[in-house]
Amino acid sequence: MSAYLAFTKKELIESVRTYKLLVLLGVFLLLGMMSPLFAKFMPEILKSVDFGGMELTAPEPTAMDSWTQFFKNVGQIGLLALVIASAGIMANELSKGTLVNILTKGMKRHTVILSKLTVAALIWAASYMLCLAAAYGYTAYFWDMGELRHRFLAFFSPWLLGLFLIQLLILGGTLFKTFIGSLMLTGGVVVAMSLLNIIPKLQRYNPISLCGDNTALMTGVKDVSDFLPAAIICALLVVMLTAASVVAFDRKQM
Amino acid sequence: MEELIKYLPLLIPYAAIELGLLAAALIHIFTHKTYRKGNRALWVILSFVQIIGPVLYFAIGRNDE
Amino acid sequence: MDVLNAINLSKSFGTEKVIDGLTFSVPEGSIFGFIGKNGAGKTTTMKMALGLIPADGGEIAVCGERVAFGRTDANRHIGYLPDVPEFYGYMRPKEYLKLCGEITGMDSTRIKARSDELLCLVGLSDANKKIGGFSRGMKQRLGIVQALLNEPKLLICDEPTSALDPVGRKEILGILRQVKDRTTVIFSTHILSDVERICDRIAVLDKGKIALSGTLAELRAQYRADEFVVEFATMEENNQFSALIKPTEQTETSATFRTRDMRGTQARVLAILSQNDLLPLRLEVIEPTIENLFMEVIL
Repeated sequence: MSAYLAFTKKELIESVRTYKLLVLLGVFLLLGMMSPLFAKFMPEILKSVDFGGMELTAPEPTAMDSWTQFFKNVGQIGLLALVIASAGIMANELSKGTLVNILTKGMKRHTVILSKLTVAALIWAASYMLCLAAAYGYTAYFWDMGELRHRFLAFFSPWLLGLFLIQLLILGGTLFKTFIGSLMLTGGVVVAMSLLNIIPKLQRYNPISLCGDNTALMTGVKDVSDFLPAAIICALLVVMLTAASVVAFDRKQM
Repeated sequence: MEELIKYLPLLIPYAAIELGLLAAALIHIFTHKTYRKGNRALWVILSFVQIIGPVLYFAIGRNDE
Repeated sequence: MDVLNAINLSKSFGTEKVIDGLTFSVPEGSIFGFIGKNGAGKTTTMKMALGLIPADGGEIAVCGERVAFGRTDANRHIGYLPDVPEFYGYMRPKEYLKLCGEITGMDSTRIKARSDELLCLVGLSDANKKIGGFSRGMKQRLGIVQALLNEPKLLICDEPTSALDPVGRKEILGILRQVKDRTTVIFSTHILSDVERICDRIAVLDKGKIALSGTLAELRAQYRADEFVVEFATMEENNQFSALIKPTEQTETSATFRTRDMRGTQARVLAILSQNDLLPLRLEVIEPTIENLFMEVIL
């Protein structure tokens, strides 16, 4: 336990001193403000651009347009930033050899994995909540929010998807010992899941859909049963990937 | 335009953070001589890529040796 | 008691058998020199003792506890200094040592006391900058500190002196000698003069096996194939002398004898010299060095 706490503290110090925490908080705060601003000013921007005499009119934006932007931004730029910033989580230590001193002190190998997952999950949660808070504040200022149905599931789902990607990066880093290997595995899985998502029947089971049509869940167009299976599968996958990372790391030659 | 000025107090924090990220990356780039990957010119250019630029620099280019 | 026991260890990388039936033990309280050419398998053996890589066969025990690959339990007896120790560059030395101490379950007052003591021992008391800015030699010294922090029974150092300049090497050897009272030290090297300076026991690793092992004194006595050199002023004298007694080797003006029976050889040589009224320029007994032993064993 003391080893877990000590290493967790080290992970926190590392995320501060390598600017990872600062950058992720900054990026997600930016995305949180960007989404409502973009929704609000889109019609203005369209009006001001001259499309060669063609008049483009957009309907008056609503709170839901803001949330649609939010899930789009978080799901694309947000997750991309999270993945790039976290890809070195295992890989950097294994390629450099910094874990040798730690492990030869008697630290359990699985503790390393759990510790890293804990801190990465916390940083992701803090960044995402900051993003959500900013988006919520701006949206509430611009529009009447109206009723947001199933808002917990709608807002929690993207975080779960992010956690899945983090654990994929940990597994990739453990298996391949390199930043690129870690990125490739995660990228490969994301591409595969995106291709699977073309099949409508599979969408409700596919973790990648956890950050997509969340607005439809909040307006009532989609139901809990369209999201919950994917969320449960995603959570199970996180547990399985953690176990796989522990096994892979136990067998890794250092 | 009128709308933009009206909402200026809401736009300023956004611009501040965007510039803050860029400044953090640029300051780090110019106060360090070596990079894990790439060179100074590359990272200066890349940091101007919105949002992802600074993220890339701190994840891949930053070297604290 | 033995601190480390390796029995019939083997390890291959691909088709190449690096370690082949290696058996050796390290008694408590010794400075054990683990000698071998580059690529002889010294690092491989050490990493197997730490459970960092798996052995294909055989077993290793540290302080009586069997080492298993991927498990780190036996490591609590060991302090390890890798050939190139890697640290978190964003940390300061004391922060890093605090992390190391907390991982091994030391309390904070002991961590503080040990850190100060050891940093002073290696001459890093005033180094308070981030480890990222350390030189190679400073990292090596900090490596020794982290390895010794929790007072392990066994210190394993992988080529601690190879990459250092002569001054740095001398310092590291001095530190190892200072810690030997409390800790058994195993260190691998291919620099034989380092071994002669501080080791009391050695094992020579060649072709995956122990080619030679024992205490330095034992080995010197056992392999006492000393050299005895007789040098003359002229070639004629040398030829005359060498015709009377067959030397092991003969050059223009000198004759060399390589023998286990130094006394007998010396007596015969001196008798022949006086009987024939030959006066040598130089008579010299050359003691065996570890280098000679090493060459003799592995070539």
